[in-house]
Amino acid sequence: MAILEDFDNGKVSTLPDGRTLREYWIVSEIMIVEVAPGVFYEAWTYNGRVPGPTIRATEGDMLRIYFTNATMHPHTMHFHGIHPGAMDGVFEPVLPGASFVYEFEAAPVGVHPYHCHIMPLASHISRGLYGTFIVDPKGGRPQVDREMVMVMSGIDLDFDNANDLYAVNFIPFYYDKHPIQIFIGERLRIYLVNMLEFDAVNSFHLHANFFDYYPTGTSLVPAEYTDTISQVQAQRGILEFSYQFPGKYMFHAHKTEFAELGWTGIFEVREKP
Amino acid sequence: MKTVILFLIPLALLGGVIALFILTGGAGLDDKPAAPVESIDFERIQLHEGSITLTIRNTGQEPVNIGYIAIRDLVAEYTVRPSGGIPRMGAATVTLAYPWVEGEAYEILLFTANAIPFTTSIEAATETLPISLSTLLGFTLIGLYVGVLPVFLGIFWLPALRRLGPKAFTWLMALTIGLLIFLGIDAIAEALEKAGELGSPFQGPGLIGIGAISAFMLLDALSKRRAMANCDEVSTNERIALRISMGIGLHNLGEGLAIGSAFMLGEANLGMFFVIGFILQNITEGLGIIAPLVKQKPSLKYLGLLGLLGGGPAIVGTWLGGLVTLPALSVVFLALGAGAVLEVAFEIGKFIAKKSSTLPLTICSGVIFGMGLLYLTGFLIK
Ligand SMILES: [Cu+2]
Repeated sequence: MAILEDFDNGKVSTLPDGRTLREYWIVSEIMIVEVAPGVFYEAWTYNGRVPGPTIRATEGDMLRIYFTNATMHPHTMHFHGIHPGAMDGVFEPVLPGASFVYEFEAAPVGVHPYHCHIMPLASHISRGLYGTFIVDPKGGRPQVDREMVMVMSGIDLDFDNANDLYAVNFIPFYYDKHPIQIFIGERLRIYLVNMLEFDAVNSFHLHANFFDYYPTGTSLVPAEYTDTISQVQAQRGILEFSYQFPGKYMFHAHKTEFAELGWTGIFEVREKP
Repeated sequence: MKTVILFLIPLALLGGVIALFILTGGAGLDDKPAAPVESIDFERIQLHEGSITLTIRNTGQEPVNIGYIAIRDLVAEYTVRPSGGIPRMGAATVTLAYPWVEGEAYEILLFTANAIPFTTSIEAATETLPISLSTLLGFTLIGLYVGVLPVFLGIFWLPALRRLGPKAFTWLMALTIGLLIFLGIDAIAEALEKAGELGSPFQGPGLIGIGAISAFMLLDALSKRRAMANCDEVSTNERIALRISMGIGLHNLGEGLAIGSAFMLGEANLGMFFVIGFILQNITEGLGIIAPLVKQKPSLKYLGLLGLLGGGPAIVGTWLGGLVTLPALSVVFLALGAGAVLEVAFEIGKFIAKKSSTLPLTICSGVIFGMGLLYLTGFLIK
C-alpha cells in the first residue's frame, strides 16, 4: 500500500521571483524482490521501490531533481513533459557513482511517466527504472476522497524479451492477495500509467462499475465514460469513480493472459462506519 | 614410364570433362538455388565489459558478408576483423558494443547481407577470463585436481591389491575393462554432441571416425611390435599397464579440454562437490592402471611414470581447451581418447580371455561393476 497512495511533493521553498521550488532526491539502486513465492528478481529501482517515487508538483513550479546513480550501470531519468533537451535524460548518461541535477518547470498538467533512457532501453525499463510524474493544475483537480497510483508492468525473469509475469506496482497478484479497502460512495482517483515492455498493449478493466477517463490527465473534462481502456507503453490517464454497492470487485488487464499471470487486483467495498 | 602414362590417362580425360562443363556453362545442370545457401558457425563467444566478441566461421559455399546484428531485439554496433567479406572456411571476429549485464541471458541474431539469419545465445553472461599467467596457473591447478591427483591416489591401492589372489586379479582386470568401455562410450557421445555443432565442411562424424580408429589402430600396431620383441609375463603386464595409462591419459586430455573451454567461458561448474566427484571418478582410473601390476613389484619411478601418463594430459587438455578456439579440434581429441581407451579394453580382454576362460562370472561381474562404478560416480559430475 506504500506505493499505492504515496506521493512525493518534494521539499518546497520559494524562489526570489516568487515561484515555488520543489526539490527531490532520487537514487538508483539495486533491490532483490520476491516476485513469486521463492522467485527472487534483481530489480533496478529509483529509491529502492518499483515503480519509483511518485513525483508530484503544480503546473509552473520549478523542479530540481537530484539524481545519484548507486548501481554498477549508467542510468538517467527521462521525464515525459516539456523541458530543454539537456534536461531530457538521454544523452547525458549518469555513470555509476555520479550525480546529475534535472531542472525544469512542471508542465504540462497531467499524469506522465519518467524512466531511464540508457541503451539497451528494454532492459533498463523492464528491470524497474520507471515511475509516475504528476503535474496538478493551479488550484488542483476537483476534490476526491482518495488518490492512488497504479503503474502497469511486466517481469522478464529469464531475459528472453518476453514477460513471464505481469503486475500493477510491480508485485504480481499483490492487490489480489491484499484487496484495496474502500467505502461506498467514496470518490476515487487513479493515476494509471503503462510501462509494460515487450507486449504491445496493456489494458485496465473495472468490474461492476464505470469510470470517467481523462487520457494523459491534460484536461479536466473526461473524454470517456467506460469500464475498460487500453494503453500502449508510456500511455497514461486518470480514472475517477465510486462504488454504490458493497462487495468484492476485481480490476485487471482485459487481456486474460496478463490477468492470470499477475495483473489482477480487488477492491473490497464496505459500508462507511 | 608406361605405368605413369597409364595412370595419367583417366586424369587427362577428367580434365576434358571439367573443361566441357565450364565451356558449356554446366552442361545443362547449372541450377541456382532460389535463395543463397549460406552457413555460419559460431566458434567462440568472449565477453568483456561493454563488449561481446564472436568468432565466426563461414562454413558455406560462397563468401559471406554481415548485414546487421541484433542482440535481444536491439540492433548493435559492431566491428569485424578482418573487414570485408568472409571467404569460404574463413573466420572473422565480430566485436559488438553492448553493455551486457552479469547473469543475464542474451540471444544474438546475425543477418547476412543476403538476409539469411543465424542465431547464437549466451545462457548467463559473465566476464571471459583473460589469457594470462594466472589463468594458465588456474588451468594447471584444475588439471592437477581432476586428473593427476586422483590417478595417483588410485595408484596407492597397489599394496592393498597385492594381497589379493589370482581370481581377484582377474576380476580387477575385468573391472578395468568395464571402466574403459564406459569412458569410451562417454567420449564418443560427447564427440558426437560437439560434432553436431560443426558446419558441414568439417564432416564431424568423419572426424570422429578418423580420430577414434587412428588411435585404436596405432595403439594396436604399437603393442604388436612390442610383443614381438619381448614376451615374458612381467614385461607383458608392465606393457599393458603402460598402455592403460596412455589410453586413460588420452581420455583425460579430452576431459581436460572440455573443462578448460567451459572454464574459459565461465560455464564450468567447479564447485567443491563437482571437484570431489571428479576425484572420486578418476581414482577408479588409477585403480585400472595398476590392476595388471598387482602380482609384481614395479619401481616407484615406474609407478610415477604411469601416473603422469594417465593424469598429466588433463593439464595439457585444460590449456588446449582454454586457449584453442577451434571446436573441430575438441572433436578430434575426444575421438582419439575414445579410440585409445577402447583399444586398451580390447587388449586387456584378449589378455584375460587367454588365461581365465574358466572364470566367466568373475569377468562378467567385473566388467559390469566397472561400468556401474563410473555410472554412479558420474552422478556427482553430470
Ligand atoms: Cu538505466
